[in-house]
Amino acid sequence: MTRLKKNSLRKLNEDNGFKPSSRTYAKFKKINGKHPFQKATKDSFVAYRARVRHGGKVVVFNYELAREMGLLPSGHPDKMTKDLEKAILDTFAIVIINEYDQINKIKYPEKDIKPNFYMATRYLQLQHPNKQGKTSGDGRSVWNGCLETKNGIWDLSSCGTGATCLSPATHIQNKYFQTGDPSISYGCGYAELDEGLATMFFSEIFNKNQVTTERVLGVLQFPDGYAITIRVHNNLLRPSHMFNHLKQSSFEALQKVVDYYIDRQVRNGVWTDMPEDPHARYDKFLEKQTAVFAKTAAKFEDEYIFCWLDWDGDNVLMDGGIIDYGSVRQFGLFHSEYRFDDQDRFSTSILEQKSKAKYTVQNFAQIVSYLKTGERRSLKEFGNEPWSDEFERIFESCKLKNLLYRLGFKKEIRQQILERDSELVQEFLKSFSYFERAKSVKGPKKVNDGINWDAIFCMRDILRELPQLYLSRGESIKRKEFLEILKSTYATTEDLTLTSYRKKKIDSFQDLYWQLVKTAASLQKITQNKVLLNLTMRSSVINKYDRVTGDSITTITDMMMEKIDKMSPDRLYGLLQNFSEYQNLDPDTDKNLDKNQWQKSQLMRGFLQIVRDYREGL
Amino acid sequence: MNLVFYSGGNEEENVELDEECLGLLESNNPTLVFIPSSSFDGDYEFRAFVRHYQRFGISRFLYFPIDVPQDNVLLREVFQSDLIHLGGGNTYYFLSTLRKRGYLPFLKEYALEGGLLTGLSAGAILMTPNINTAGYPDFDKDDNEEGLTSFKAMNLVKFEFFPHFKNSVRYDRELRKHSQLTKNPIYALPDGAGIIKTEKSIQFVGKAWCFHQGQKTLINP
Repeated sequence: MTRLKKNSLRKLNEDNGFKPSSRTYAKFKKINGKHPFQKATKDSFVAYRARVRHGGKVVVFNYELAREMGLLPSGHPDKMTKDLEKAILDTFAIVIINEYDQINKIKYPEKDIKPNFYMATRYLQLQHPNKQGKTSGDGRSVWNGCLETKNGIWDLSSCGTGATCLSPATHIQNKYFQTGDPSISYGCGYAELDEGLATMFFSEIFNKNQVTTERVLGVLQFPDGYAITIRVHNNLLRPSHMFNHLKQSSFEALQKVVDYYIDRQVRNGVWTDMPEDPHARYDKFLEKQTAVFAKTAAKFEDEYIFCWLDWDGDNVLMDGGIIDYGSVRQFGLFHSEYRFDDQDRFSTSILEQKSKAKYTVQNFAQIVSYLKTGERRSLKEFGNEPWSDEFERIFESCKLKNLLYRLGFKKEIRQQILERDSELVQEFLKSFSYFERAKSVKGPKKVNDGINWDAIFCMRDILRELPQLYLSRGESIKRKEFLEILKSTYATTEDLTLTSYRKKKIDSFQDLYWQLVKTAASLQKITQNKVLLNLTMRSSVINKYDRVTGDSITTITDMMMEKIDKMSPDRLYGLLQNFSEYQNLDPDTDKNLDKNQWQKSQLMRGFLQIVRDYREGL
Repeated sequence: MNLVFYSGGNEEENVELDEECLGLLESNNPTLVFIPSSSFDGDYEFRAFVRHYQRFGISRFLYFPIDVPQDNVLLREVFQSDLIHLGGGNTYYFLSTLRKRGYLPFLKEYALEGGLLTGLSAGAILMTPNINTAGYPDFDKDDNEEGLTSFKAMNLVKFEFFPHFKNSVRYDRELRKHSQLTKNPIYALPDGAGIIKTEKSIQFVGKAWCFHQGQKTLINP
């Protein structure tokens, strides 16, 4: 039986007799292909005419995001009205009229052709034959536009809107492809429905957990089974949007993109301290980007997020946000040797992401120098400049802060502990990393989509249980108990041997943990028990037993795909909301859960089981 | 054996019952365990539980969700604690999970050996012979999504417990009917009320009615 008054939980935005007026969906009309980037730059995109793609339906729509953007009024319920569906389809159900269509003089009804051009942006991509980004960019996406509301400025782009001339296939095979050409998969310009759903679920979970990311506004499906995924972010530019011009030594084009980006960050209210002087602006730009990428690298490492950062700056946004979820994973354990096998190359590992992030900033340093002097010096020359030390400093600082967060310390006390005794936290980090990075004696092995060397310890489990046990006992736990809590299902008996070195490490871990507790108690002027209790409560949320992994999202998507034909957009949205809230592991936010719904939904119950089954995996 | 049955309601409504309950603790610095009916939002319920009992000076708590695997270290700690509280939620899911994980005998043994076992709503029902009361009335019952066919519970007392009772005709009708189908008396309590059952006594805190053989009796005005 449920508790009637205590813990009453908010429900999804309910109908309450809502009736849309003629102006309710007026903002959709502002999303019409036009984008300020088109005016600011000329060499950074390919403009396409677009036409209506008929027969589409809305599979799911992200009401919460639409309200947050100001695209829907704040009181709009989580309900798909006929007018809303029409507005979504009128705006986003498009396909470009590409080079193949033009060469073959394919005619489309005039009434189907959209009045404005849509841009496919140019950017560097390592999988392209041309390593300067002359031919690469949005291969199957176009930007729908830019929406400015009282809630902010939002870029919108859609994936699956037709084959552009910037896809790898066009240049590898030296021909233009008809959109939907079945002879080629990725290059056909269409997108799969499961990709869109996986991106939507994964990105909403990350967003709830304060990981910067693109978000999905909605997913459309068409009679041929293909889909369009609508992505949204405050600024969808990637480092690779600059790196192509840098590699090509296109000064003007580069300057325009960088200036556009800086101006946009200022307009978005993200950067509030930009100087007027152009050179000083570029220096500030480098300073900001150094901080962004140092913080992002630390966050990815500590949250076990594998994003395949690489030299092209393609898989990440300028603000460190995640984009393109195709290869994104979140590991359950610190599987630091995992590499994705992309047929002709292996990806970076999670630990190498830091050096790739740093390399990205090195490119920014080269950009700034180029823009300030007009001379493009060799990239190598920028490896040991002051930004590099700053990157290291911020990275290390974030690692320490992140660790204290994972332990369960509140923001204000994290800072105080670091000010009082950062060496103590550094020592604890070393001890923590020893266990976090421990690998199985079985060695590296092949996995479904790459290679891995199993991590054997679950740090989340020890962080969740230790403060409770200390609180209950008032003393450290036994070494065997420590290992029993810490061990994952990947650990073999041999992996768990209690060597004298490991005994020392366990003792050191516990001693340092207690010292942190004592430090916090002294700083806060409260008892150690009170500190432990606070850690217990926060850590039980942060380090919840079941956290999604990449494998669990893939499996959940497969499960959804089996039922998707019979599912209404609103039901799917309800699942998305409940599931992402259930995966909201931020102890500083309130949850918006419908407690009863998950028990009644077989799908939701299935999702939870999958998360548990795959929680230690990739 | 010390058992406390909470019907429901908010913190203020249960202050009297809480004080009686905590009076049964022997330790000056007790450890309280919270077992939620599910881990879906159990971590948030745990925080509410802690905040509530902190007001009574309690400072040691353990969180023990049972629908996820638990190691033996925490398990042992839980059953050495001073008080175990079973939370509210879906009674069928709660019972089903306790059975799957094999925790029912541990809980029963804990109670029989003198541990203080408390339950709120679903958690309280689980301490009785069966969970039949979770299945009616139609307008306010738990859904048996688990498909449970055996409703046997811990059987620590010889009465059934009906939480969230409202003294109204439609509740009366249902409870009178169901009380004719069981040999046990059914104690029906509104939110804020509760029962304290020890080896030697039974005490009602707040209003309580008994439905037995079709008859309704107010046993604690």
